[in-house]
Amino acid sequence: MHEGASLTHLMMVLVLQLTVILLAAKGFGFVCVRFLRQPSVLGELVAGMIVGPFALGGIALPFLGGEPLFAISSEMVLPVTPQLYGFATVGSVVLLFISGLETDLKTFLRFAGSGSLVGFGGVVCSYFLGALSALAFIPDVVSIFDPRAMFMGIIATATSVGITARILSERRRLSSPEGVTILSAVVFDDVLGIVLLALVIGLVRMGGGEGVDWRLLGRITLKAFGFWIGSTVIGIVLAPRITKGLKELKDLETLAVIAFGLALLLAGLSELAGLAMIIGAYVMGLALSSTDVAEDIRRRLEGLQAFIVPVFFCVMGMLVDFRALGEVFVYGLIYAGLGIFGKLVGCGLPALMLGFNGKGALRIGTGMLPRGEVTLIMAGLGLTTGVIGPSLFGVAVISMLISSLVAPPILLVAFRGGSGFRKTLGEVKSADLKVISFAMPTIHLADFVLSRLLDAFRRADYFPRRVGHRKPVYIAQKDAAQITLLRQDRLIQVNAPSAQEGFVRLLLTEEILALKELFRSVEKVADTDATERNILGDLFG
Amino acid sequence: MRLKKVLNRSSVRVGLPGSTKDEIIREMVGIILADDRDFIKEDILNAVFQREAQMSTGMKNGIAIPHGKVDCVTRLHAAVAVSAEPVDFDCLDGLPAQIFVMTVSPTNQTGPHLQFLAEVSALLADDDFRRRILAAKNEDELLKAFCEGRADA
Repeated sequence: MHEGASLTHLMMVLVLQLTVILLAAKGFGFVCVRFLRQPSVLGELVAGMIVGPFALGGIALPFLGGEPLFAISSEMVLPVTPQLYGFATVGSVVLLFISGLETDLKTFLRFAGSGSLVGFGGVVCSYFLGALSALAFIPDVVSIFDPRAMFMGIIATATSVGITARILSERRRLSSPEGVTILSAVVFDDVLGIVLLALVIGLVRMGGGEGVDWRLLGRITLKAFGFWIGSTVIGIVLAPRITKGLKELKDLETLAVIAFGLALLLAGLSELAGLAMIIGAYVMGLALSSTDVAEDIRRRLEGLQAFIVPVFFCVMGMLVDFRALGEVFVYGLIYAGLGIFGKLVGCGLPALMLGFNGKGALRIGTGMLPRGEVTLIMAGLGLTTGVIGPSLFGVAVISMLISSLVAPPILLVAFRGGSGFRKTLGEVKSADLKVISFAMPTIHLADFVLSRLLDAFRRADYFPRRVGHRKPVYIAQKDAAQITLLRQDRLIQVNAPSAQEGFVRLLLTEEILALKELFRSVEKVADTDATERNILGDLFG
Repeated sequence: MRLKKVLNRSSVRVGLPGSTKDEIIREMVGIILADDRDFIKEDILNAVFQREAQMSTGMKNGIAIPHGKVDCVTRLHAAVAVSAEPVDFDCLDGLPAQIFVMTVSPTNQTGPHLQFLAEVSALLADDDFRRRILAAKNEDELLKAFCEGRADA
């Protein structure tokens, strides 16, 4: 930036930067989804790399006084301006808040058995492989307690289930024993990853690294868990009261905004406590996830999410310094390979112990492969706190790109063929799923009916939660019973285990009857056309 | 599993005398009313008949499941009865019905009611079980059949 660059000039640059970011992110995201059948995240990330300061964004522009749009100066910690990074930071809070909201803690606690074993195996295995790889490839790292080693471990742990959930729902395998295990393992993966992150950040901030001070480690562990458990418990106890109070406003819009405000508050507090902001955001989401307005809040944040999340991914792409990438490219490939190996073995072995056969274990391992937003957030955090440099950040991005690209095709192949359960247990279990589907006249109506069905399941003590970020896929769970609801165009499909089939058929019938009743009452309003006449008024004189 | 909790000696009946859908429903509601004095008979009848008007609850294999949702009850109430003679109930298969399962539940709590009906329907899907129900000579036998006869146990 020039000497004495005026505030208006800075803001002008910021606005232009956001313009370029939004257009590029949406454009590349669209290409990724439509033509490459990849999640838009990848497109947004690549867009950032291309328009960023290390590529096109670095070209000097005459109308900006010979400055490039994304100028880098030596005074900056990051290759982007603080004001732009601010948007990305808010984006990461939005992301983590929403992923907390989409978690169902009760479901998670109920499913603590099989899912957590698989999730735990995957986290532990990939953490150590990641940390050990740092030991082998970063010259001056000599201990796995070196902050850099710990960060490379952490970055290797995060799983992003969005891609898996999409593929499995398209293949109608989301409620298969493998699908259910993957979904519950991912929740455990998230929670454990966040706790680990809190731990590592705490250690780094307190200057851990050279030699291990076990007492310090103990104190930080205590603090991390203390903040985590404390705020989660307080949040879960208070959340229903808070939302109950807010519901008095009779305005879900305001409620959603206040809820997001609370997420920002907790994010700030967790930063104050020496943890990372995203931890607070996630905890707030988690606390609200068990309230009945969770889905309403999430829906109302969709607009904000659509704007700010691509900004976040694009900015993350901008942080990739190609010059630093060359020297670590081989490490990046190996790191990605280790990450994949860690998940396959770490998740596959517990799956084998839980009664799956080799095929089932492979499916579960592959389902845990995709990396996404959380990987980037963690890597970005490492970069801003100065723990990892641009080259290690590049390693993380390479690994994220590779595992996201590699996972879907393997997943498709792995899910071909028969049961993933051992014969003795399996045949019944996977042949067990009943599919009930019916079409509605329009997509609009199908959406409306789907939301009514979710309400009906809620009233029947089920806990529906959305699992597809971009596609309408929901899992309603009560104890061990899981029912999947999804809409494909005008078709509504409900998958239920055969033990629940009768219940589901009755529920659907009753709900459709109630809807017909509702439409009949609408027709009564429509019978007299006075309403429309009133509304049209004197429009045509 | 839950049938034992919902059904008791006074909520089952054999030899129900009604010979029309209307009579059967009124007799079944009568059984439910015995559960509690505070129930508003008219509300319950209205709710059940309203549901019948939307779509008949006559299923297949001689089974009908008339039910309704009202605000004057606080939990699920159920009754099971076998009529003396088969009665025309607008069943899906066009045949008359002889086994009747009624539930009355609070408006905002549908889980137990649907669960109960689902469990009863799972039992009644079995030919032998239906024969056992129809052959029950008294209320004790009928109740015993429902409490014992788990389809998947």
